[in-house]
Amino acid sequence: MLDVSNLSVRFGDAYALRDASLTVHPGDRIGVVGESGSGKSMLAQALMGMVPESASMSGILKIDGTEMTRATEAQWRALRARRVAMIFQEPLAALNPLRRVGTTVMEPLRTHLGLSRTQARARTLDLFEEVGLPDPEQRLAAYPHELSGGQRQRVLIALALACDPKLLIADEPTTALDAEVAQRITDLLVRLSRDRAMALMIISHDLQVVARATRQLLVMYGGDIVERGETRKILSAPFHPYTRGLLAARPRPQLARPVPGTKRPRLPTIPGHIPALVDLPAGCRFSGRCPAELSRCRTTRSTEFRTGTGLAACHLLNPAERSKS
Amino acid sequence: MTVLLQARNLRRTYPRPRTTLFQRPEPLVAVSGVSLALERGETLGIVGESGSGKSTLARMVMGFERPEAGQILFDGTDLNAVPARELQRLRTKFQMVFQDPYGSLDPRHSVGWSIAEPLRAARIDNRPARVAEALEQVGLNHGDAARFPHEFSGGQRQRIAIARAIALRPALIVADEAVSALDVSVQAQILNLLMDLQEDLGLAMLFISHDLAVVAAISDRLLVMKQGEVVETGATADVFASPAHAYTRSLLTAAQVAPATGSSPASNRKVPA
Amino acid sequence: MRRFPVNLVLGAALAGSVTLVALLSFIWTPYDHAAIAVTNKFASPSFAHWLGTDQLGRDVVSQLMVAARNSMIVAFVSVVLGGGIGIVLGVYASARGGWVENLIMRVSDLSLAFPALLFAIMLAAVFGPSLQNTVIAIAFINIPIFARISRGAANQVWTREFMLAGQAAGMGRMTLTFDHVMPNIAAAIIVQATIEFAVALLAEAALSYLGLGAQPPAPSWGRMLSDAQTLLYLAPQLAIYPGLCIVISVLGFGLLGDSIRDLSDPRLRRER
Ligand SMILES: Nc1ncnc2c1ncn2[C@@H]1O[C@H](COP(=O)(O)OP(=O)(O)OP(=O)(O)O)[C@@H](O)[C@H]1O
Ligand SMILES: Nc1ncnc2c1ncn2[C@@H]1O[C@H](COP(=O)(O)OP(=O)(O)OP(=O)(O)O)[C@@H](O)[C@H]1O
Ligand SMILES: [Mg+2]
Ligand SMILES: [Mg+2]
Repeated sequence: MLDVSNLSVRFGDAYALRDASLTVHPGDRIGVVGESGSGKSMLAQALMGMVPESASMSGILKIDGTEMTRATEAQWRALRARRVAMIFQEPLAALNPLRRVGTTVMEPLRTHLGLSRTQARARTLDLFEEVGLPDPEQRLAAYPHELSGGQRQRVLIALALACDPKLLIADEPTTALDAEVAQRITDLLVRLSRDRAMALMIISHDLQVVARATRQLLVMYGGDIVERGETRKILSAPFHPYTRGLLAARPRPQLARPVPGTKRPRLPTIPGHIPALVDLPAGCRFSGRCPAELSRCRTTRSTEFRTGTGLAACHLLNPAERSKS
Repeated sequence: MTVLLQARNLRRTYPRPRTTLFQRPEPLVAVSGVSLALERGETLGIVGESGSGKSTLARMVMGFERPEAGQILFDGTDLNAVPARELQRLRTKFQMVFQDPYGSLDPRHSVGWSIAEPLRAARIDNRPARVAEALEQVGLNHGDAARFPHEFSGGQRQRIAIARAIALRPALIVADEAVSALDVSVQAQILNLLMDLQEDLGLAMLFISHDLAVVAAISDRLLVMKQGEVVETGATADVFASPAHAYTRSLLTAAQVAPATGSSPASNRKVPA
Repeated sequence: MRRFPVNLVLGAALAGSVTLVALLSFIWTPYDHAAIAVTNKFASPSFAHWLGTDQLGRDVVSQLMVAARNSMIVAFVSVVLGGGIGIVLGVYASARGGWVENLIMRVSDLSLAFPALLFAIMLAAVFGPSLQNTVIAIAFINIPIFARISRGAANQVWTREFMLAGQAAGMGRMTLTFDHVMPNIAAAIIVQATIEFAVALLAEAALSYLGLGAQPPAPSWGRMLSDAQTLLYLAPQLAIYPGLCIVISVLGFGLLGDSIRDLSDPRLRRER
């Protein structure tokens, strides 16, 4: 249903997303993880036809077989909400501060599905209940600033689910939720994906959420998809040096045992500074921070090679490279 | 060590909208009977379910909202008893990182301008250098100061909010889900930075987060909230090792943070009734 | 929904041409607008006098041009004056809150309820009719309008989290008003000002028509209209020209303001 190849998003010379390719079938559940600023939201926005006006987009993006890279706003509007919907990363950015959240959720129900006021209201209440918003009846009349962070996020989730989209892109849907509610929401999304063959794309920093909800995984760094494959396999046996570094940086609760009088132990990180978008190395974006760097990494980009668990774009996998060492 | 922040018996309710004509609905109790104390250089983690009043508590501690009952003492001064000018002056000593970074940055100003705002209020010179330093500290580039909030990714905006809070080198930072939008490796860098600042400057933190692994890594003590009330408090390691309240246990299970084996004695811990 | 913005283009074209003509009148008019030529009264349109001459033989085009300038100056000064005071009151009320806000808003509600024309007539009765009093009267009715809208917009800004962040930074409420509230309500106010400008043009025409505004020899569309009224059978065109000018300029600025508002926030259109 979704076919993307060599999709790039540029701000001037700076690539926020570089040559991304992927296909999505109905019922697929894809996770996206990666460094902050690595282009995950940009990928999501591109799939929604919502890249910022200052950006230029190139490549091929087909939704249901229709090429959409040059599509007009009207064409996109016909797709959004019902075919593709998105849960935005920052609720305050996505909600109109002047509107009651009930009105916000009811609007697409009325314009897209043609429901009457009372029907839309009832459906909104159902949705609020489904996402576990307490006191749904009263929340209808609340303004965004009157809700807690997690409640706002659930309003956005309800909004995205309102029109039964065929592809749901969830950009950090659980950042403001405690583990219990986060689990409930991920389970809800997975159930919807199973029951309605809805394709699901979850962007998340929460590896637990990704592991629980998705079957395939994309790992991004500096605008590139650096590794992909089956979620469980990558999480247990990552190949790309960035993925390894990322997984090694997971905080472990055991660290919570400070010995009195000593310094608190520091968490493992990936060493090095993240360069500005324009200063990223032309080849592998991770070169300069990579512990296993080869001489050509900085200048030439590797194609994707088969790993034990999927594909990774890394010169270390190149048979020619391996025979040399 | 000395007590920097003390809150006693805070209570805050919000009126609910009327749904029927004749009955005034019960107000929503966002925070009730919450007390806490924070020493210099100490981190108090606050965890709890969504909507349990954590951000409301943070706003009261910051003096943005008046508690209906109770008292907040910052360095011995009652925040709600001092005149506005005095509160404004005190404010340069405590900073907040807001839960939603997009909302806390004015879209009409460059991020450098926003980061410099507390510095301007405190009449600190050499602001561009301080802004650049703060940006680098959170893993961004000094050139980013001229860009506007909408030109950043969610996690970058969150780090800008952190840069703004640390630029002034305050005595207290109230961090409301301050690292929730960061991937684990950048998150670890920021947590390490906060620990550095804590050791170098004696920074105290009220660290609100739903991510137990993060809270475990950074906080000395823990306060668990549910429906506006504190259900458990104690040293972080102790709470993790042997949670006393059923809600804490279910939180730990949901987060797949199994109680560590060979638990340490749960000595200096109290469970409010 | 991005259709061709008919209203915007039409409004901009009309308002733009009226403004251009008014500006042009500073440096050039076909004739001296006040030059009387009794021998050549009621001349019909010709190459020399594009729209003919009036009952005193004055060139109509020149009069209309100078009148445009006068009306726009009156409207501009009164909207800036009234708007300025209103905005200050509005954002101050919003920043202070409490009884100060209540007081300011009650008083402005009261004055909003007071008929504007009545006020202008009172003013003229007490101080005599003059352009200056017209300006004061129109400015005065603009004060509560702008106070209301800027307070409403400012209150919205105050609920945003960056205002808390600014307070946390240790900034005072007045500094925050300048730094954050003003830039964030500017768009709304500019839109309102455009609309009120159209209303002020109409008000100025009405007052001049009643003889309370511009005094002779200063030409004004409203007065030209009332002068022409007595000659309606003799020379109906003399009433039509100023009437058309009023319609064009009010319509132009009104459309412009409305369509900018709709563009900047499409939601407002439906909820209005
Ligand atoms: N309007 C813009 N102008 C210039 N650069 C931009 C703009 N929007 C985003 N960027 C840059 O594009 C890059 C990718 O941003 P994106 O939002 O996709 O990151 P992300 O992977 O979602 O990160 P996060 O996890 O922090 O949300 C970032 O480096 C960001 O600074
Ligand atoms: N301004 C307000 N008006 C009305 N109700 C409010 C307001 N602010 C907060 N509330 C309510 O108070 C309760 C506590 O909210 P708060 O933001 O403190 O929760 P939280 O613990 O921070 O939750 P989260 O983890 O989801 O951010 C919520 O039920 C919320 O809806
Ligand atoms: Mg993002
Ligand atoms: Mg909160």
